[in-house]
Amino acid sequence: MQTTAWLVLGLPLLGSILIGLLHKVLKGKAAGYLGTLVLLASFVCAVLTLLSLQDRSAEERQVVFVAWDYAKSVGLDAQVSILIDPLSLLMMCVVTGVSTLIHLYSIAYMVSDRGYNRFFAYLNFFVFSMLLLVMAANFLLLIVGWAFVGAASYLLISFWFRRTTATSAGIKAFVINVVGDVGLTLGTFFIIKHSGSLDFLTTFKGAAKSFDGSNADLTAGCILLLVGAFAKSAQIPFHTWLPDAMEGPTPVSSLIHAATMVTAGVYLIARMHPLFELAPSAGDVGAIVGAVTLLVAGTIGLVVTDLKRVIAYSTMSQIGYMIMGVSSGAYVAGLFHLMTHAFFKALLFMAAGSVIGAMAGNQDLNRMGGFRKAMPFTFGCFVIGGLALSGIPPFSGFFSKDEILLVIGERGGWHWALYVAGYVGAFLTAVYTWRMIFRAFFGAAVPEAVELEGGHLHHAEVHTNPNGGEVEDTDVGFPGPEHHIAERAGEMKGAMSVLALLAVVGGFLQIPKVTSVLDDFLEPTFADSTIQHSSNDGLLVVGLVLGAVLGLAGIALAYRVWVQKPGTSAVVLERFKPLHTLFVNKWFFDEGIDLVFVRPGAWLGRASRNSFERLFVNGTLIGGSTGIVRASSSAVRAIQTGLLRSYTALLLLGLTVVGVYFLVSA
Amino acid sequence: MSSAFLSLAASTGKIKGPHIDWAGLSPLVAILGGVVVVLMAGLLRPRFAREQLVPGLALVSLLASLGLTIWQLDEDKSLVANSLRLDGLSTTLTVIFLAAGIATTLLSWRALAPRESAHGEYFALMLTSIAGMIVLVWAQDTITLFLGLELLSIPLYVLCATEMRRASSLESGLKYLVVGSVGSATLLYGLALIYGATGSTGYAETAQAFAAKGLSSDTLALGGIALVVVGMCFKASVAPFHQWTPDVYQGAPTPVTAFMAVATKAAAFGVFLRFFDVALIDAQSTWGPALAALATITIIVGNVGALGQSSLKRMLAYSSVAQAGYMLAGVVVSTQLGVRATVFYLAAYLVMNLAAFGVIIARERETGRGDDISAVTGIGASRPLLAWPLTISMLALAGVPATAGFIGKFQLIRATVDGDYAWLGIVIVVGSMISLGYYLKVIAAIWSTDAVDEAPATAGGSVALPALAGGAPDGPVTAPPAKPAWELTLVSVVFGAAIVVIGVLPQPLFDFVERASSAFANLV
Repeated sequence: MQTTAWLVLGLPLLGSILIGLLHKVLKGKAAGYLGTLVLLASFVCAVLTLLSLQDRSAEERQVVFVAWDYAKSVGLDAQVSILIDPLSLLMMCVVTGVSTLIHLYSIAYMVSDRGYNRFFAYLNFFVFSMLLLVMAANFLLLIVGWAFVGAASYLLISFWFRRTTATSAGIKAFVINVVGDVGLTLGTFFIIKHSGSLDFLTTFKGAAKSFDGSNADLTAGCILLLVGAFAKSAQIPFHTWLPDAMEGPTPVSSLIHAATMVTAGVYLIARMHPLFELAPSAGDVGAIVGAVTLLVAGTIGLVVTDLKRVIAYSTMSQIGYMIMGVSSGAYVAGLFHLMTHAFFKALLFMAAGSVIGAMAGNQDLNRMGGFRKAMPFTFGCFVIGGLALSGIPPFSGFFSKDEILLVIGERGGWHWALYVAGYVGAFLTAVYTWRMIFRAFFGAAVPEAVELEGGHLHHAEVHTNPNGGEVEDTDVGFPGPEHHIAERAGEMKGAMSVLALLAVVGGFLQIPKVTSVLDDFLEPTFADSTIQHSSNDGLLVVGLVLGAVLGLAGIALAYRVWVQKPGTSAVVLERFKPLHTLFVNKWFFDEGIDLVFVRPGAWLGRASRNSFERLFVNGTLIGGSTGIVRASSSAVRAIQTGLLRSYTALLLLGLTVVGVYFLVSA
Repeated sequence: MSSAFLSLAASTGKIKGPHIDWAGLSPLVAILGGVVVVLMAGLLRPRFAREQLVPGLALVSLLASLGLTIWQLDEDKSLVANSLRLDGLSTTLTVIFLAAGIATTLLSWRALAPRESAHGEYFALMLTSIAGMIVLVWAQDTITLFLGLELLSIPLYVLCATEMRRASSLESGLKYLVVGSVGSATLLYGLALIYGATGSTGYAETAQAFAAKGLSSDTLALGGIALVVVGMCFKASVAPFHQWTPDVYQGAPTPVTAFMAVATKAAAFGVFLRFFDVALIDAQSTWGPALAALATITIIVGNVGALGQSSLKRMLAYSSVAQAGYMLAGVVVSTQLGVRATVFYLAAYLVMNLAAFGVIIARERETGRGDDISAVTGIGASRPLLAWPLTISMLALAGVPATAGFIGKFQLIRATVDGDYAWLGIVIVVGSMISLGYYLKVIAAIWSTDAVDEAPATAGGSVALPALAGGAPDGPVTAPPAKPAWELTLVSVVFGAAIVVIGVLPQPLFDFVERASSAFANLV
């Protein structure tokens, strides 16, 4: 078990290094297959680890393996250690499993790209970082993994580095993620200040005692941890990077910005649940922010016209559910939704990638339509993903979303507001998801779709950036001259089929009153939770029915607005103009952040560069010290006359000084 | 006739000569034997005998001496009536001298200097100088000390001038002779005054006299110490007594410069440690601050002087002044740790400088640009085996981690902090900061891609030299071969690799220099 656990972590790193070093040797799809096989092996190791963990008794299912002591001295126990327990194993299986499928998809999707090998080296590195994050057994490694994930995300968002939009999106994502890193690190300091240990299990076991009487510090620490979680998981107000991150290649959006990395915040809160339960107000902050995010993101999703951005806002909104869930004590439900969401959201992104391929790189919903006949397989996948996302029974999203809301409803009190928000969000979800599907696949076929029906894939004459329309660099950092769709690429089809299947059956793990696989599996991790779940059968039935009805109603509304009466949306838009402006401008978050943080920061930077930096640092400190050195250098060279008499004179002068010193001290 | 012999034999029987421990003396004997053999072999007619056999024999005697030293590495005994002592410091430093000697022999193998001056003389003088170093650091009384110092210095004056038809070489030899004599005279004066104050020449007796008579505040004794400080600082090229160093280093034949830089420095610091930390330890509170001030001046002068030099030898001369300042810090603190740090730094200094000089000599012969920095410009691409040792050596001299120079400097700074001279440690750090200014310039030149048009390689040594008065014994002296000499690459690569090995695994060298401090039982 120890070996397989370390292999899970080590194999993606090995893959990344191998592909990186051999990038000149690997030709064709070799790098893609190498990267995929490495991850498949990693996934197999994760499953083997899971099996051997299940052989143990429930009390022994939290195991820490220490590779070596990194720095072990007074007051610090930094070890390179991994924690294997049901929670980390669930994450490991989801991360390696979904990653394997997305690697498989990318083998075909990225094949025309000039940076093919670089792409897989980055992608493997990302998986390694994510695994480090979820397997870390102490705060130190968690922070390392957290930062690595941010770096990998930056590299992949800016993958097409000749696109100015892509590089600025990468910078935005990285900066916001670093803010989160700072929060996480500071939060860690608040916690180890009292616990005196970096190790998770030690901290949790002693939490009640070490934070006795210093609850303010714990609350501050937990809120700082939440800052980290919000930044990684794109929660308000740290969410603005996620829609921009869609500049990355579609597999990246699928893997990092839907299925794995953005769920890190959910994992963090679930992992730290013993601390959050001691600081309930921090948990409340998380729950409220999650609820707000899911509503705001849902409303923006209604009006965005970029195919990938619609899915991105949907991701934000769904993670809002998870954050709200795990912050309110619905740990298993939150993680259940994390898992099902990984399946159907990865699927949706892959299908979107296929559509974008058919559109020759264009992702504007306004220009799409009628792809249903041209791309039957993609359409099928989109529908399955859409049904799961909208929470239609018996698809996976139905069970997981309702379970979160059930637990929140059971908490009672002001949590009812969250409960209501959740169901409003569910309705919005169904509307925007099916708006996207109806607009892309129904209606009159656009020329690209007609061309595809005729058996020819459309290719643009001049490649332009879908955002901004600048002409693409065709030499380096370029998406590739050819596009690929699922109908014509076996690897893409295979990956999407598996995910479609999982999106359908994934929910059966936790059918209320019938199965409770995840509940039982995760029990050892959350056994110490103090939040009691009362089982309220009435609420359960109401919730399930409400969820299904709202989902279907949303789909019906979307059908009516965008298929039956295509002009309706324009009429509604006219009537609610201010609201539309608010949504289309994404609630003005970008402008607000720009006004509050970016501009004053830039102003401060410019001001200090012009005054402090230029006059004091550059002028006085640097100029002064180099001036002194320069002057003394010329002085030394000036007395080096080359004349023996002057040398002897200086010798005698020195001798006199030394002699006087000694005689004076006598 | 026979009665005269008999009486002579009888009288020698009566005179009790001191007991001589031949085993202990054997490293010195091997070198001195080598001097005689090499000088004789140099008289042989065949060209092979002169150009290959002579350096070969010098190498043999150096290796024999090295073997004999290692054989007695952990001995601790007095030789020849307490005038010499074989102990940890003696053996450690002797190994450093011999390593420098071996490297210098390889660097001189096909150099111009021995051809100009005749091989026998050149190598014999080098061996004599090493013998002088051995005597100097083994010495236990001031008479032997001075004997060793002169035995070390006089051959060096001559060696500097061995490229007889190059004016700057002659100038360098003459300057060294004149200024060196002033230095020697100062030292001798100081020793005489100390003798006058203590009434003894032995180190141990001097130390006892200082303690017994309370000489630490005696005008005569302190006046003597002042003169000794100046004399020794001169030999170690400590500012402001360093001014001969750039001129002599630049003018001397490059192999001789390499030898002077590493071996002479080691000898000077060996005697510094021994004389100040044993004989004059009672006056430490007086000479300590003075040496600390001199160290500060030296570090600053050496480092700022090296900035803006375009001659690599001159730059390394100033660098050696700065490094002398660093090592002086190890002497100032007068602790076991200080001794170890100084000796460690001497060993590190040896490998760092020899790696650099190997490259400089190789490029000097290949390009005809002498030791100008343009000689190494762009060699990163064309001559990686020379570029890497020089790069590593520059980084090490600057004290970059994972090199011997870093560990050495770290030890010195630790010694200063432990010895209550923390400010001196800060001076070392500031000095290292300034030093990056000129070391990095060399690295930038090595790896720059600006093409420097290769000067005709034959220009190396065959620039028209003026006729030698009296004529060469067998016609005109031919220039040394311009093709890459493998022994130069070997020296550079071996010492370049040693820099990294010591930087990563310093423990073996720590263990080696550990025994040097055993000679200072009086220190904490």
